[in-house]
Amino acid sequence: MEHAYLGIDVGSISTKGVIIDKKNNILSSRYIWTQGDPIGAVKELVRLLEGQFDKEKYKIVATGTTGSARKLVGAIVGATMVKNEITAHAVGTTTFYPDVRTILEIGGQDSKIILVENGVAVDYAMNTLCAAGTGAFLSSQAKRLGIEVEEIGDYALRSTHPTPIAARCTVFAESDLVHKIQMGHPREDIIAGVCNAVAANYLNNVGKGKKIASPVVFQGGVSKNKGVVAAFERTLGCKVIVDPNGHLMGALGVAILARRGSGRQEFDFAMEDMEFRTREASCGGCSNNCEIICVYRGSELIDSWGNRCERGARVH
Amino acid sequence: MADTPRRNVSFPRYAEYNCAFKYIVEQALGCRYIMPPALTKRTMELGTKYSPDFVCTPFKTMLGSMIESLEAGADTLLMTHGLCRLGYYGELLEHILRDLGYEFDFINLSDYDMSKKKEYIRIVRRFNPKVNPTRFLTQFLEGVRMAEYVDEITGEYYKNCGFDATKGQSKQAYQDFLTAMYTAQSRNDVEAGYRAAKRALQTVPLNKPKKLLRVGIVGEFYTAMDAFSNLELEQKLADMGVEVHRWMNVTNQFLHYGSNRFGDGQKNLRVKIKDLCQYDMGPTSTANIWYARECAERGYDGIVHIKSAGCTPEIDVMPVLQNISADYKIPVLYLTYDAQTSDVGLMTRLEAFYDMIDMRKKVL
Repeated sequence: MEHAYLGIDVGSISTKGVIIDKKNNILSSRYIWTQGDPIGAVKELVRLLEGQFDKEKYKIVATGTTGSARKLVGAIVGATMVKNEITAHAVGTTTFYPDVRTILEIGGQDSKIILVENGVAVDYAMNTLCAAGTGAFLSSQAKRLGIEVEEIGDYALRSTHPTPIAARCTVFAESDLVHKIQMGHPREDIIAGVCNAVAANYLNNVGKGKKIASPVVFQGGVSKNKGVVAAFERTLGCKVIVDPNGHLMGALGVAILARRGSGRQEFDFAMEDMEFRTREASCGGCSNNCEIICVYRGSELIDSWGNRCERGARVH
Repeated sequence: MADTPRRNVSFPRYAEYNCAFKYIVEQALGCRYIMPPALTKRTMELGTKYSPDFVCTPFKTMLGSMIESLEAGADTLLMTHGLCRLGYYGELLEHILRDLGYEFDFINLSDYDMSKKKEYIRIVRRFNPKVNPTRFLTQFLEGVRMAEYVDEITGEYYKNCGFDATKGQSKQAYQDFLTAMYTAQSRNDVEAGYRAAKRALQTVPLNKPKKLLRVGIVGEFYTAMDAFSNLELEQKLADMGVEVHRWMNVTNQFLHYGSNRFGDGQKNLRVKIKDLCQYDMGPTSTANIWYARECAERGYDGIVHIKSAGCTPEIDVMPVLQNISADYKIPVLYLTYDAQTSDVGLMTRLEAFYDMIDMRKKVL
């Protein structure tokens, strides 16, 4: 049997999974919505991946998890590698584009920029306190304009005179946008303006002070939006590469990291039928009141975190 | 003349310096010291609740800590002056606490002209009118010496604690040292505690790899030093296997600043960075810019810049750090802290930063 490696990326909005072979060829991949239920999403994801996967020929010997729910999901799938999404994206992209210099990434709630030299990340930045200019902003504005978020790109490309929209802050951008709608600007122009605002906001905040060198790879959910891609190309004055698997790059990266790592644990598809449960316990040992998360498989405690000192150990 | 009752003095929690405040208040001023409880989520909740929203986080922390001191029985609060907004904080803190109904005496150093020696005597007399100035000075300097020891041992601890051959040995030595400082009542106690800690830390067996990762910490005065406020950033970095270096502390910033007496090359810092910036941009900017470049020139693998949200002087430092980062090809991680107590986002960024400098080191 040949060895295969599973990578799972659970973000705030979407859950991504890939199974790769030794040569990083994708054997199976899926992209579904998280819908506020990471455990349910992962079970569904595993069920869908299983459908495309040849169990006779391959077995999964290592599993990696990334994304904001990496720890929780890592515990329930028995991951051999739990890695932050920044490293996972850098590793995934540099594997497929060894000469990349700049990685732009805009996800549902965060955005980051990774600068690469000689195939190694040398600098990165991530948005800090504010989620302005991310996918969440685009989807809420799409809803306001009564279109599907997937259609934004096509609308934006039809526009010839994008409406200028204040890009500094989502709240300001939104009131500016409402004002422009009421003034009678055509919908295409408004949508193109929103896409420009996302690109401008990203470059002003996350990309601030960073030297963006070509080749540039753009990924994350927002990279599927042709309007934002066009806005980036116009502002940066260079071609922006969007990989057809760009939305899977985090999952691919962590699958590669799991393959390179030393941990080996055969993945069991049976987890999709198991019952997982989390419980939050407040320690109460001091006024920190650490919130301790306990993860159970059936009635068995498989992991817990959030505890800061020995006083919390008695809670679970 | 009737005896005036002994004051119960407190100063908000600030990194590990409260042992020195305690020593000075009790030994030099002859007052009682009320140790504010360790900073917790509750401190932050209290501080945030009664603070203006856009004030910087250290204000909220100090307000919360002052409330907890008053609850613990303090009747006299001391507040420092400062070279940024901090200089106005004393007045605002006093107003907020009085509006909440607390009764206390407030000694605000911003009310005094700190360039005149006479003023110091006025301040001391307010704490205790019967203080003998000569005796006060001796014991005050012993307290200052304690702060220097705290900085020296803390620096050594974070430099080495990530490499313990047996995990936790450095931490034990460091905690024993802090206990000794918090309970010291005489010069002998201070010196003995310091010597024991020096010995203990030097005898901890360390496993340092050949390709050692070194990270320099720069940033805003309160958040960069206070482990609770920066969500134990230094410990987290050290635990990943990094040598953590921080210049910014009370010793360097106040006691040795601009002096060459100590042979650490701190004289004329501003001249050393005049190609990067022409004048002081805030209380700590010159030192931070100088030290960031120092880290780059020493070949450190990265710099972490720490500030609380809305700290204007440190925002001004960031463009200069970006230039240093580009000139010396050294990555800088910029972190902004607010009153949050969850460290999930911080861990993501720190792990990524570690992975990056680690992979970079292996390739270069």
